[in-house]
Amino acid sequence: MDIISKYIDVIKAIEPSADVGVSGDTIYATVSHEKIRDLVKTIYWDHGCFFRTCAGSDERMLNGFFALYHIFGDDGHGLNIVLKLYADPDKPVVPSIADIVPAADWCEMEARDLLGIEFSGRKPYRLVLPPYWPKNLYPLRKDVAYDTKPQLIVSSEKVGIWGKTATGVAVPIGPYHPALHEPEYFELYVEGERVIDVRYRGFHVHRGIEKLGESKLTYQQVNFIAERICGICGFEHSVCYAQAVEKAAGIDVPERAKFVRSIVLEVERIHSHLLWIGVAAHLLGYDTGFMHTWRIREHVMVIAEMLTGSRKTYGINLIGGVRRDIDDEKKRRVLEVLELVEKEFTVLVKTMTSVPQIMKRLRGTGILSKEDARRLSVVGPTARGSGLDRDVRRDLPYAAYSYADFNVPVYDDGDNLSRFLVRVDEVYESISIIRQLLDQLPKGPVMNEEFNIPEGRMAVSVVEAPRGEDVHFIITGRGKPYRWRVRAPTYQNIPALRVMLRDQPLADAPITIASIDPCFSCTDRVFVIDRSGSRRRLDKIMYGLG
Amino acid sequence: MGLRDIRGSRLGFLRALVIAGRRGRVTRRYPYEEPLLTSDFRGRIDIDETKCIGCGACVNACPPNALELLRSRDGYVSLRYFVGRCIFCWRCVDVCPTGAIRGTREFELATDDLSDLYDVLIHEPMKCRECGSLFSTKRMGEYVVSKSPVVENYVDLDPGCRRERLLKAIEGRFGGRSG
Amino acid sequence: MVEVGKPRFLGRSIWVFHLNTGSCNGCDIEVLDVLTPYHDAERFGVKLVVSPRHADAALLTGPITLESLPKVIRAIEAMPRPRIIVALGSCACGGNIWYKSYSVVGGVPELLKILEERGVVVDGVYYVPGCPVRPESIIYAIALIKGLASKKVRAKVKRVGG
Repeated sequence: MDIISKYIDVIKAIEPSADVGVSGDTIYATVSHEKIRDLVKTIYWDHGCFFRTCAGSDERMLNGFFALYHIFGDDGHGLNIVLKLYADPDKPVVPSIADIVPAADWCEMEARDLLGIEFSGRKPYRLVLPPYWPKNLYPLRKDVAYDTKPQLIVSSEKVGIWGKTATGVAVPIGPYHPALHEPEYFELYVEGERVIDVRYRGFHVHRGIEKLGESKLTYQQVNFIAERICGICGFEHSVCYAQAVEKAAGIDVPERAKFVRSIVLEVERIHSHLLWIGVAAHLLGYDTGFMHTWRIREHVMVIAEMLTGSRKTYGINLIGGVRRDIDDEKKRRVLEVLELVEKEFTVLVKTMTSVPQIMKRLRGTGILSKEDARRLSVVGPTARGSGLDRDVRRDLPYAAYSYADFNVPVYDDGDNLSRFLVRVDEVYESISIIRQLLDQLPKGPVMNEEFNIPEGRMAVSVVEAPRGEDVHFIITGRGKPYRWRVRAPTYQNIPALRVMLRDQPLADAPITIASIDPCFSCTDRVFVIDRSGSRRRLDKIMYGLG
Repeated sequence: MGLRDIRGSRLGFLRALVIAGRRGRVTRRYPYEEPLLTSDFRGRIDIDETKCIGCGACVNACPPNALELLRSRDGYVSLRYFVGRCIFCWRCVDVCPTGAIRGTREFELATDDLSDLYDVLIHEPMKCRECGSLFSTKRMGEYVVSKSPVVENYVDLDPGCRRERLLKAIEGRFGGRSG
Repeated sequence: MVEVGKPRFLGRSIWVFHLNTGSCNGCDIEVLDVLTPYHDAERFGVKLVVSPRHADAALLTGPITLESLPKVIRAIEAMPRPRIIVALGSCACGGNIWYKSYSVVGGVPELLKILEERGVVVDGVYYVPGCPVRPESIIYAIALIKGLASKKVRAKVKRVGG
């Protein structure tokens, strides 16, 4: 029995009157409030699916209700499953699934902050917006304009304000700290040198991207804003968005354009991993490694500029193809540079791993066990360093990855060293993929300009960013997207920090935080831990209610 | 190429000195030397005033609205390019119908005065021969006529007067007043 | 060619503090790139300091988001006079694509108005367009502050007839 029929049977067994549809590799089902929790429990735990994201949507203009979409993924078989819930337009309330699926915690709070959908059966808190934001102003609703600004109040919270029942001394890290590139605020509660608890307040980078994509910009312009969600992994956001729209509208992309996209994606992965290795070396105190790694990385930036026109935020992606082509001269240059990078990188890694201090600080610190990783649905090198074998390039192939042969490195220890080694191995794999794809580059155009985007279509697109899997969910509208939801990889990985930082010495905190390769601008939203939060409550979220 | 066994000698880290010595100095002494710039780099744009017709296609395509079409009270239309908000995507270069926008490789754009970053191109409007109101631009009229000469006899009427003419023509064709 | 003046009491080397007010990190990694061997900003005496109290100039990236506004103001107030703000990138100069979004103040020109209301004096502001800013653009801006290079960009007003 093929896998799609199996899932349809599972859904119908719990909810016989569900409205089920299949489109490509995605199963869509509308479920009632009473049966959603049982269905989620079956799909997530019994069938081993992973949770991708949940997206709220204001559909009062289309059908008079609010809607909430839960998106799951079965990576082993290359499927996406979308479960839709309707909510009352005047007082939208849906049952929460955060106790069954801890990874859904943030997504639900974001839907609550931005759309006003309440969740029954859980304790709510403000997540995405600043604390003084007026209570009844929900930016993502269709009747609120994108440039509505409330009265500006300049005030910030105090250190340790959530520490009523937590013990220990609060050590604030951030928002502006020499170890961090982005504004994010970590509060570590320490007893002596051991970290016993972590509070995190981020969201300093929330710029209202989803709202802009749905109101002010047209389809082709959203590619450029998607690229600027993150300056380090921007191109994959742009590819993910373009693929989502192409899937929804059924647009054919020329083969050569898919190859160009994959090649530039791998160039981005090499540059991102080299960046991370340099920054990790810097945080460990080994500045020589930092300088040498970034010296090697400069070559990669130059070929990125040669291929696309800009060192970062490439801007070559459009719906229907790419704007620039690779000719023979560029191909030759790229192969030259890759050889140079591979040679120098091997020598550099051998040197770095023979520094005894680095190995001592990486081995055995920041441990994330396999069970915790599965419970939290972490993604990317964080998951592969803890023994979970997940890689979207192999499980749900997109662009031209089905034409390349590559390994997925997996290490079982779950400490900082495993995550470091996963990234080192991935650099070599990327170099090999680029060589294979350049070899097989097909002839043809790079752009398809004849297409129509109909309204009311849905699609889920998943892409492997350097930091993990990135999910874009889109509902098409007229001339611009109706609902665009971005779930960046770091969003999934930050809850894992609380497990990794617990009971660690304070000096290991920066490298542990950096080891998930946090990209807070991708995350775009903040997680405010419950004001009266005690350790017990955190344990409840982390370990699935006992 | 896995790195599953990590064994280095105790003094393996001194290899870094060898690497540094062998590579030598790599610094490009910009601004006294040439920077690492390729020929594909996207810098600021340059608008050619002999070709621009003031149509606004670039304004529609620009994601951050760095290009804006403003109409002053006396009817003059100006295309304003704000370098400060430009994202250097060159979409305007793609969509311009006359090829008036040209990309350059300039990146030395720092300044201490924000008003240096505005480029303005002022177009003369067309004057309607019946009611005298100012609309569109003269260049746009010439462009439209060059593409389709039949419109020459009503290109200098503003949209309001054109509508009047059309309604009168329909009336005349079907006899008597319509509706 | 216009000479750009700097406050006379700034010496030869400028210590900078990197302030990210909500940027996508593109400009921030280029700021880090400026310190690496290929571009080496330390030739000009530029050093990245850890605390705003040691800094002469703040390299500000990002459109200023509402969440980070109070922290940015506090960081700028902590800098001793004379203070220079260098607005790096399209986000800081004009707000980039989200210049009117609900969650963004809009860039350094708007921030200066807020700082003026609170009585915080800024002695010099420099704007560096780019998305992301090239390391060479940052070096050019530093050379401009130190008086080693002259300003090249100038506003152009052209009139077009029929």
